[in-house]
Amino acid sequence: MTQTARSHRFGKKGSRFNVLFPRTRSLSLACFTGVMLIFVGDALADEVQNLADLIDRRIEARWKSDGVTPAPRAGDAEFLRRVSLHVAGSIPPVADARQFLRDESLDQRRRLVDQVLESPHYITNFSNFWTRVMMPESATDLQGQAQRPGFQAWLRQHLGNNTHYDTMVHELLTTKLEGDRSMNSALQNTGTVSPIAFFTTKQIKPENLAAATSRMFLGIRIECAQCHNHPYDSWKQEQFWGYAAFFAGIERTTRNEEAIGQVREVFDRRELTIPDHETVVQATYLDGTQPQWKSRISSRKTLADWMTAKQNPYFAKAVVNRLWGHFFGVGIVDPIDDFGGTNKPSHPELLDELAADFAAHDFDLKYLIRGITASQTYQRTSRKTHDSQNEPQQFARMAVQGLTGEQLFDSIAVAVGHLESFQQQQPFQFNQNGARGEFLELFAPDNNSPTERQTSILQALALMNGQFTSAATNVDQSSTLTAVVEFPWMKTPDRINALYLSALTRKPRPDELERLTKYVDSGGPSTNQKQAMADVFWALLNSSEFLFNH
Amino acid sequence: MTDRARLTRRDLIKLSACGAFGSSMSRWLPALANEVSKSTDRRRSVILLWMTGGPPQTDTFDMKPGHENGGQFKPIDTSVPGIQICEHLPQVAKLMQHCAPIRSMSTKEGDHTRATYLLRTGNLPQGPIDYPTLGSLFSKELGKENSDLPNFVAVAPYTQFSPAAYGPGFLGPKFAPLVVGDANRVVANTPGTNYDQSLAVKNLSLPQGINVERADARLSLLGDLESDFATQRPGLNSESHQSAYAAAVRMMRSEAVKAFNLDDEDAKLRDAYGRNQFGQACLLARRLVERGVPFVEVSLNGVGNNQTFAWDTHAQNFTSVKSLLGVLDPAWATLMSDLKDRGLLDSTMIVWMGEFGRTPKINPQMGRDHFPNAWSSVLCGGGIKGGQVVGKTSDDGMKVDDRPVSVQDLFATMCKGLGLDSMKQNVSNVGRPIRLADPAAKPITEIVG
Repeated sequence: MTQTARSHRFGKKGSRFNVLFPRTRSLSLACFTGVMLIFVGDALADEVQNLADLIDRRIEARWKSDGVTPAPRAGDAEFLRRVSLHVAGSIPPVADARQFLRDESLDQRRRLVDQVLESPHYITNFSNFWTRVMMPESATDLQGQAQRPGFQAWLRQHLGNNTHYDTMVHELLTTKLEGDRSMNSALQNTGTVSPIAFFTTKQIKPENLAAATSRMFLGIRIECAQCHNHPYDSWKQEQFWGYAAFFAGIERTTRNEEAIGQVREVFDRRELTIPDHETVVQATYLDGTQPQWKSRISSRKTLADWMTAKQNPYFAKAVVNRLWGHFFGVGIVDPIDDFGGTNKPSHPELLDELAADFAAHDFDLKYLIRGITASQTYQRTSRKTHDSQNEPQQFARMAVQGLTGEQLFDSIAVAVGHLESFQQQQPFQFNQNGARGEFLELFAPDNNSPTERQTSILQALALMNGQFTSAATNVDQSSTLTAVVEFPWMKTPDRINALYLSALTRKPRPDELERLTKYVDSGGPSTNQKQAMADVFWALLNSSEFLFNH
Repeated sequence: MTDRARLTRRDLIKLSACGAFGSSMSRWLPALANEVSKSTDRRRSVILLWMTGGPPQTDTFDMKPGHENGGQFKPIDTSVPGIQICEHLPQVAKLMQHCAPIRSMSTKEGDHTRATYLLRTGNLPQGPIDYPTLGSLFSKELGKENSDLPNFVAVAPYTQFSPAAYGPGFLGPKFAPLVVGDANRVVANTPGTNYDQSLAVKNLSLPQGINVERADARLSLLGDLESDFATQRPGLNSESHQSAYAAAVRMMRSEAVKAFNLDDEDAKLRDAYGRNQFGQACLLARRLVERGVPFVEVSLNGVGNNQTFAWDTHAQNFTSVKSLLGVLDPAWATLMSDLKDRGLLDSTMIVWMGEFGRTPKINPQMGRDHFPNAWSSVLCGGGIKGGQVVGKTSDDGMKVDDRPVSVQDLFATMCKGLGLDSMKQNVSNVGRPIRLADPAAKPITEIVG
């Protein structure tokens, strides 16, 4: 099915089924809808359900054997907020939330994900995601920063076309490197759409590229074996350099050790000498096999072919686990890129089956996202309902996860109705001006696990007293707040409802509503109901419930 | 991550929030605000004077008189017989008995970005490990829980070329510096500027129109939300959120925050430090150390309008360096004497360094270029046996002749001087434990004790 056809069918709220069968609840109608879904040709739909079932079967089997009582299914509001943050990168606007919460059709959650996956938000959010994965050192590397816009444009192009993961990685690994790769050239060509920044952030050195590609794409941390045999794992120094030898053809011809200048590539070089050793090692795959060399095929391409092949024992597992970690906060293998000997998967069979299924579906990232988010496991509430839910790798309740700077800013922007006009990103951002730039700097990526996110004092001060939240909670300046306090025919509880929906994507519980209504009606310390409403909004925006995904 | 690593992190955060999350959560604010550390034992503090861009050793602490690489400046005698330094550091020269110049730094990384990361974290940027900056690393060891002021304050860091070199890395935002003074936007080190403003803590005051009473009401509303969330969804994230908010509120309302009111100081003393951003920042450093802050770093990024990378003197080295030393000398010397007058110099280590030195050879633009092979840093004050020089470079300054000191050697020396066990481990973001300094590092034992 083409993209256009799909977005026609599922892209808009009030799609055909919704119009035909609003509030479908009866079993026969549901069955009928199911039949219709298949009938209209989205055979993928069933496969997505199969994948979701596969996940649930394995996870539930472990609960049974380990005596875990899972948390119940999350309500629609909780699911909506969670999946919006994971897939679209921000909380949903209040209008979307109202519409979704009104929708009582059985497949509303599936349709929501389909819809978001076809939106520009998916592209933006996941281009940030893959940039973090592939260029973790971009904060320390100036040249990488200059080439970041081109790199992100490259990612966006592929995400927009839903290029399958194997194709994307293959293209990355075989990108042309020859030519002037100096800082000056990078600055002059900031508009070039290319994944070259992946290489320059690794200094275009075989050992750095070996360490990065094995960790990112295979989940193998072989870099410790660069200098010595790995103390815990079985990796040997010669294996590291044997793998690095696939990049041995890349030559930096400038004399300066550190600066990158002209780059040449000798396509059939297949060996290198371990630095400070006499040993020459031949290019060898990490599984110990030797490539079948073909003439006129570069060693990089030979490596890329092996790496992205369906039968590669690591490739699919590594990415499936990475995406699992994105959605659950904790990987089946955790840390998510360390498939070392001592770091065992919590659910080995599930990981194998997920990887096999992902490969069988030609590494279609959207398919994997559909499957994970359709599972009952993903749709559990994050509320703790039983002591047996404490172990994160049981996935018995959804983990509370930290937001990235982008997710946080964009969510606040959605909640308060802040609009920032789109600006062509400056290629070389020394000063990211504006509220968003300041936020991204203050909430810069923190590679700690999302379930162990820490807040700094400066972050707390900015959220409590900073200009952006101050304006957002100022009756005269905030779009959302102004609309809520000025709208005539609303009573206090309605206004509080509206603020909760804007910030937390849910309605207040009765006890909350009672407490806050009392506060607002009294006017608080300022004895002014509008100001008291602003106080409530301030508290919502500063709360853990707002600042985390859960 | 192994179970053990997870537990360690968990315990760590538990500790940070100890006692803070009792039964009545809506009362969390006052309870936490009162939980100021009762401990009175004074541990050592560190003041890092960071020379952004790389200062020239040949024009500061490793003069080469009589050699063509020596340049225009003359050496002068110091308070310690036999030790000579640059004529443009006359005040520091008089306090040489407290200082130990290391003339044999040897670090092998000549790129600003990577060298900044190397000198500030002890490691080259490599793969997935986010190493913490030294301020985060040491303040974590030296600091106290629940203190009024943050344990690590950074004044005017110029972070743009290597942001990660200024952050807490795998230690997490709890150990991030409180940053004051925005070096990324130009604040001239020239007379007449309002430095109090530029050295204030951002977002420390309540938003306009919000008084304390209203702030309390807001925090109380927030307390209810937090209480619900922590009960329903217990975990590290919300605990850390609450302890950071508590620390922020504690600081906003503490007496200690008056450290930032430089107007309370005697005008003559302020003059002595130098009426410029760096000088006043050094004064602020003393005020913070006095109130128990264990790690303060102050960056000297430039003078006048050249505020971004002024030690990077590829051209007209001598003009620039002379004006930089004119700011550095009174500030640094006054800092030492002021600390001494208050009995704080013995417990405060001062570290002077940049990311590398500069070429002894003078280029055709009368400049000096990047030089990591043989350069100088200086340790002074608390924990340091001053009045002696470490290492020696060749007559032309091109190589280290005696006792090369690596960045890990320097970190290990600091650990020793501060009374810290350099073998102490932190769990990194990849699960691997990382020691304060590499076990293979050789501390400069003769200057610590």
